[in-house]
Amino acid sequence: MYVLPSVMVLGVVGLIPLITVVNYSVFEIFTLESRFWVAAEWYKTLVTSSRFWASFGRSSLFSLLVLSIQIPLGIALALSIPKRRLWAGLSLAVLSLPLLVPWNMIPALWLSLLNADTGILGQLLTHYGWPVAWKDYTALTWIVILAMDTWHWTSLVVILSYSALSTIPAPYYQAAAIDGARPWQVFRHIQLPKLLHVLLMAVLLRFMDSFMIYTEAFPINAGGPNDASLFLAIDLGEEIKAFNYGPSAARSVLYFLIVLTVAWLFVKARAGLDDPQAGRV
Amino acid sequence: MMRVSHRALAWCKLVLLLAFMIFTILPLVQMTALSFIVTLPRPGVTVGDTTLRNFANIINDPALRSAFGNSIAYVLINIALTIPVALPAAYAFARLSFVGDKHLFFSFIAFRITPPVVLTLPVFQLFSTLGIVNSVFGIALAHTLFNLPVSIWILQGFIAAVPKEMDETAFLDGYSRPRFIWKILLPQIASGIAVTAFFCFMFSWVEVVFARILTTTNGKPISMALSAMFGFQTDIGLIMAFTLVSMLPGAVLLFAMRNHLSRGFKVGQI
Repeated sequence: MYVLPSVMVLGVVGLIPLITVVNYSVFEIFTLESRFWVAAEWYKTLVTSSRFWASFGRSSLFSLLVLSIQIPLGIALALSIPKRRLWAGLSLAVLSLPLLVPWNMIPALWLSLLNADTGILGQLLTHYGWPVAWKDYTALTWIVILAMDTWHWTSLVVILSYSALSTIPAPYYQAAAIDGARPWQVFRHIQLPKLLHVLLMAVLLRFMDSFMIYTEAFPINAGGPNDASLFLAIDLGEEIKAFNYGPSAARSVLYFLIVLTVAWLFVKARAGLDDPQAGRV
Repeated sequence: MMRVSHRALAWCKLVLLLAFMIFTILPLVQMTALSFIVTLPRPGVTVGDTTLRNFANIINDPALRSAFGNSIAYVLINIALTIPVALPAAYAFARLSFVGDKHLFFSFIAFRITPPVVLTLPVFQLFSTLGIVNSVFGIALAHTLFNLPVSIWILQGFIAAVPKEMDETAFLDGYSRPRFIWKILLPQIASGIAVTAFFCFMFSWVEVVFARILTTTNGKPISMALSAMFGFQTDIGLIMAFTLVSMLPGAVLLFAMRNHLSRGFKVGQI
């Protein structure tokens, strides 16, 4: 009963549009009034296109890199946050500043930072042999996008991890100190178990957001060079801009199925975490 | 030996933190630097000069002023919509265990991780039917899609931290559940509500995908005003200045909330 308002709001904003999309995805639509039933035609085209699987592969690799950089970095930073309350608050606030930049300005900020003539980083890097035409190189484009995403989102992992760490009562640490525990042992046996649940959530959020990266990635290099930074959501965005209702709806449904699969795996992973811990706590 | 390694570790931590902070601030320094520079030739000024013109231009441009107003309006509406809706749900997740509560929580989270671009077309059509396109209400409602799940998550963490005995005592004193939530629980989790509102603000203020599709003619927020400034002759100094100004309210809130940022987000009992 208490969750009813939330269910209703999300029903209107989320569920109804989803159902509409599923409906569109099986039609050829010229205008919304004249449409033809095409069954699974769009899906067939999509899953047999090499372009789709290439984007899928690129997005998967990108997410994998994002997670393997940002999650350890976020934990390390959360552990490095000073103990003093004043400094802890200030560090967290400074680290979170990138979250306040409008998303469409994030690539613009990075492009001007990397500008070979005027950018702070661009001038420095060019001096040390960074090519002015870095957009021609796949590896460099990827490094820039990864650096940008790390800059933008690592603070979220830090906030989440720090929030879990701050629930550990001081006596745990005192007991560990009396036992002469090494820092690694403290991390492994006291901090990590507390972190696991929240980390799973951080992994979920970072995975999905990077897997479907859209606004930030495209302006950096327009998907180039040679489509090397063309990610899943960018294709969808282009189809929507072209008003291809049917194909874009089919694509949306497919992407939502990916979301559901990931969320389901996540529920399974949580159940796995909960069971062995039940006895210990 | 032991002491040395502890000290070395402390230094490593400090170096890591400071290095990442410099990395964090670098693009923002670039932005600030550009916002004080003339970047587009105009009569009476030369490109590259230091200037305050960019900021003067923001104040003098009615489109930019209204964009700022629109952003504030839709964010406030979004918060006013999200928190009262999220609060009872958060209470239910924190206190009552009911059939399918875990699954329900994850279907909420599933909406948070659904990429907005997947839903843009039908949301646009639905909202045109409802007549809330090109207005701040449309954006405010669309943003509940990701803000509501996050709010429920944060709030339930705060509610779970309130001792359960408080509920029981109140019920013995004859409080009904809604009255208990309103009279006793709300003051207890005031800081939690502030944190939740702050995160709603933060995620909503900078969002682009819904903001773009829902404001084609009117009601453009800051992010869209920024997009409109890119063109044949892009005045990057003005753009950076406006970005800087757009970050100020958030930065003030961020520093005001700094000690509460990392509370909530507990994933315990759900």
